[in-house]
Amino acid sequence: MPDDISDGVRIELDGLTKRYPGQEVPAVDNVTMAIPAGELVVFVGPSGCGKTTTMKMINRLIEPTSGSIRIGGEDVLGMPPDQLRRRIGYVIQQIGLFPHLTVAQNVALVPKLLGWPKAKVTARVDELLNLVGLDPAQFAGRHPRRLSGGQQQRVGVARALAADPPVMLMDEPFGATDPITRERLQNEFLRLQRELRKTIIFVTHDFEEALRLGDRIAVFRERSRIAQYDTPARILADPADDYVASFIGGDSTLKRLALISVGDLAADPAAEVDGLPRVSATATLREALDVMVSHSTQQVACDGGVLTYAAICAAAEPAREREEVPGAR
Amino acid sequence: MTLSEYVSSRWDELTQAAGQHALVVALSILMATLIGVGVGVLTYRRPRLAGLATAATAGFLTIPSFALLGLLIPFLGLGWGPTLVALVMYSLLPIVRNTIVGLRAVDPAVVEAGRGMGMSAARVMARVQLPLAWPVILAGIRVSTQMIIGIAAIAAYVAGPGLGNQIFDGLARLGSVNALNAALAGTLGVVVLALAFDLFYLVVRLLTTPRGLRA
Ligand SMILES: Nc1ncnc2c1ncn2[C@@H]1O[C@H](COP(=O)(O)OP(=O)(O)OP(=O)(O)O)[C@@H](O)[C@H]1O
Ligand SMILES: [Mg+2]
Repeated sequence: MPDDISDGVRIELDGLTKRYPGQEVPAVDNVTMAIPAGELVVFVGPSGCGKTTTMKMINRLIEPTSGSIRIGGEDVLGMPPDQLRRRIGYVIQQIGLFPHLTVAQNVALVPKLLGWPKAKVTARVDELLNLVGLDPAQFAGRHPRRLSGGQQQRVGVARALAADPPVMLMDEPFGATDPITRERLQNEFLRLQRELRKTIIFVTHDFEEALRLGDRIAVFRERSRIAQYDTPARILADPADDYVASFIGGDSTLKRLALISVGDLAADPAAEVDGLPRVSATATLREALDVMVSHSTQQVACDGGVLTYAAICAAAEPAREREEVPGAR
Repeated sequence: MTLSEYVSSRWDELTQAAGQHALVVALSILMATLIGVGVGVLTYRRPRLAGLATAATAGFLTIPSFALLGLLIPFLGLGWGPTLVALVMYSLLPIVRNTIVGLRAVDPAVVEAGRGMGMSAARVMARVQLPLAWPVILAGIRVSTQMIIGIAAIAAYVAGPGLGNQIFDGLARLGSVNALNAALAGTLGVVVLALAFDLFYLVVRLLTTPRGLRA
């Protein structure tokens, strides 16, 4: 991994296995997967299935029993761990900010370890705090204890991003926040990732979060065995088995609609928009449907013209085909 | 002669003894801190070793001070040598125990975050774990100091430095001129020193507790 590359690099896990001493079955059993450069891959799976173990083997906080890991083609197990970790942003679930350091000092840590000049570090800290939506003038000098949970998680993300690592490992980074803060953090994070295009592994228990953030989702069974590894749309449309389907829940069509934005569909430009409720182009089809139902109408106005209920149904079609409701329209 | 007349007539002698008393205590605490924190750092993650370290240093404390000082004479002679060694041994327990307790109380998430960011184990210890455990360690150091200020007076028995000489002198010739004054002045000096050290620790605690840890 060269120093100056900040765009994502490909990660390859090959036959990765971890057997903790004194345990009969391995915690992670022969995992092989590739995470394409610049993509955000979400790990979901039941508690104890080995998500954290898999992730921590990548930055070698846990040494694999067997198998190999390559990042950008380079064998990770042959690198000095401390050097490796300085180029992998790591957000741990419990946030783990250093309570005796200020927000700025927390964020500055890895750049300082890498020996950046002082002026560059200071500028970078300001840049990052702005990036995660914390005003440096207000927050740089504060200690973690004087931040809310959501603010702490942002500092945790800023700290992991500090040295512009090509790879990020994020273990339930928004776990400790209320649904509203969580959604805001997710949106901010999505915006960030669209700019930064890092290779990110993101662990969550929240399938909605996986759908919202993931370019791909890996659904794990026990021992990190991969049940399905695919894009959110394809997992929703075509779950590999009942196990994967159980993660999705009963409303897969609605979830699919939440992945498509109004701007993705061709609206009817000729139709009359007067008197119709409006939705923005960035709203999801699910939100558009919600507006229709709440206004008892089959049409909404959007930037391109009129969006109809029939168009939404057509967009959901691949999922509807699988539903066992013959003749339903 | 009243006590205050005695004190002012022997002021130089008394302050010199007090100075030496403070010095021997400070040196002992310094050495005990280096050793005790070192032992704590090496053992806090290994329960059996930590237990052993605590038991051993607790064992030192059960040795009567006269016996310990006397037993050291064959090896170290008289004066500063046996005094320092005995005081270091007596001050180890609170420092070792508080270092272990303090390091164990550090949030493992903070340590994992440090390691995960590419800090070496030694760096995490020096920059993160010890600073976070410091208030607890300092409390141990303070207890040790209070303990050995009194014990240091007994070092006069092996011709050690400090206010003990005044006390022993006085007690040895009780009934003669100024004997009681000498013993009282020495004892009072020890009490004043103890208060002075305590004040010192108060200031140290204020200056060295990281701001983010203060309530
Ligand atoms: N240090 C360890 N020693 C022994 N077993 C461990 C250790 N860490 C984890 N395990 C075991 O390995 C398995 C996988 O743990 P891991 O933490 O990777 O799960 P996870 O998928 O991250 O779970 P969660 O969603 O609850 O965080 C679990 O059965 C756990 O008990
Ligand atoms: Mg986990």
